[in-house]
Amino acid sequence: MTSLGARLRAVPGWQVTLGMALLALGFLIAAQLRSEGPRVRYTSQERGPLVETVLELQRNQETLKDRILGLNERIAGILQDQEGSAALVKQLNGELEAARLAAGLVAVEGPGIILRLEDSGTPTPPGGNDDDYRVGGLDLRIVVDELWLAGAEAIAVNGERVIGSTAILDIGGSILVNSAYLAPPYEVTALGPADLYGQLSGSVGFVEFVRARSEAFGIKLSFAEPPVVVVPAYAGSVTLRYGRPAPDASATP
Amino acid sequence: MHRRSSQLSIAAVALVLGLLAVVQLRSQSGGSALDARSAQELTVLVANLNARNDQLRTEVARLEQELSSLLADQSRGQTSVGQLRSDLARVRSWSGLDPVVGSGIRITISGPIAANGIADLLNELRNTGAEAIAIADVRVVAGTIVGGEAGAVSVDDTALGDPFEVSAVGRPETLTGSLTRVGGIVAQLGATFPGAVVTVTPLDRLVLPATVRDLRPAHGTPSL
Repeated sequence: MTSLGARLRAVPGWQVTLGMALLALGFLIAAQLRSEGPRVRYTSQERGPLVETVLELQRNQETLKDRILGLNERIAGILQDQEGSAALVKQLNGELEAARLAAGLVAVEGPGIILRLEDSGTPTPPGGNDDDYRVGGLDLRIVVDELWLAGAEAIAVNGERVIGSTAILDIGGSILVNSAYLAPPYEVTALGPADLYGQLSGSVGFVEFVRARSEAFGIKLSFAEPPVVVVPAYAGSVTLRYGRPAPDASATP
Repeated sequence: MHRRSSQLSIAAVALVLGLLAVVQLRSQSGGSALDARSAQELTVLVANLNARNDQLRTEVARLEQELSSLLADQSRGQTSVGQLRSDLARVRSWSGLDPVVGSGIRITISGPIAANGIADLLNELRNTGAEAIAIADVRVVAGTIVGGEAGAVSVDDTALGDPFEVSAVGRPETLTGSLTRVGGIVAQLGATFPGAVVTVTPLDRLVLPATVRDLRPAHGTPSL
């Protein structure tokens, strides 16, 4: 028996190692074959494409989920922006309304007076000038200017709003205001502070006008002070064809 | 035993061992989940995945439509903002609230001229289509009044020097032609105020300032 022990001890170390390695190898080969086992049980022709399909569908699903996340993010971003731009639109609308009001593009109502001018009832004497006995463009311009001077804030002549570009001209027997033909009687509506008529009648220029036109030639002049006057909006073109906003335009209240 | 061949055989065994170990380890994880399913189970899985993916696709389509509609709104909104800005600039510069630039004429007046002469000139400029007018840096708006006797004229409380300038934006040829025609306003002013000299210069570019007045009616409210 000692010969067996002696024979065992006599086995070189490397042979033991090799033996153990080969043992492990055997186990692994067996395990590999076993794990491959179940696969062998089903039809390999069906399963191959099915597995491929499943894997592809799973990939598609990931892509679709990513797309949904991305779309949700973009939509949230735009909804946030929209809130901001709605506020901006509101602000700009407010500024536009304020500008239109200041520009005479909006009808206004409030305290004021109405002056009425009519042609003279006196017939023109021989040698006299017919124009003297009729209300002319200059008469209206003087009345309008005197009203501005007295503190009027908005003026209209027979419904034509007087603005910065309003010309008042004599054309034949009519008066042209904002290129609209007007006929007598002429009603000049002025909106302004409570003392508007007081200021007007106290003005040297107006007193002189009354003397020169009404007293001298009989031009009829009357006035009314209703509780509320309405000065209509300017109804004309708001276009600049030869001008444009200056590049360094600053906001003036 | 030969040293060389024994080393080679050990190396070969180690290599195969290593490979198998790796394969075994890999097959234990991941793919073995599918590998463990039958064709029947896989078919059911495919059907489920297809149904789920269809749902996801419907959701994607819905979201894409919502996004495209929001983008259209956004671009419309930007158009609204742009349109509003341009309307605002137009109303403000037309009405005198903002400065305006363009072609036109510059009228230089020297010598004694009374306020009613300047008022007549103003009326004539408006009649010939001046789009914006300024008298010596005072923008002419509704309510701008010229006053004073010859030699002491003022516009809106600003004294006018000698000479002073009246600027108007419009078509230079039309404005010049109309003012300087025979019997036109320049001729009339020359007759009424013999000491005054009125010259009209057409210009390609002039800038008129904004008004310094507050044009908002203090006693009126918008009438509906």
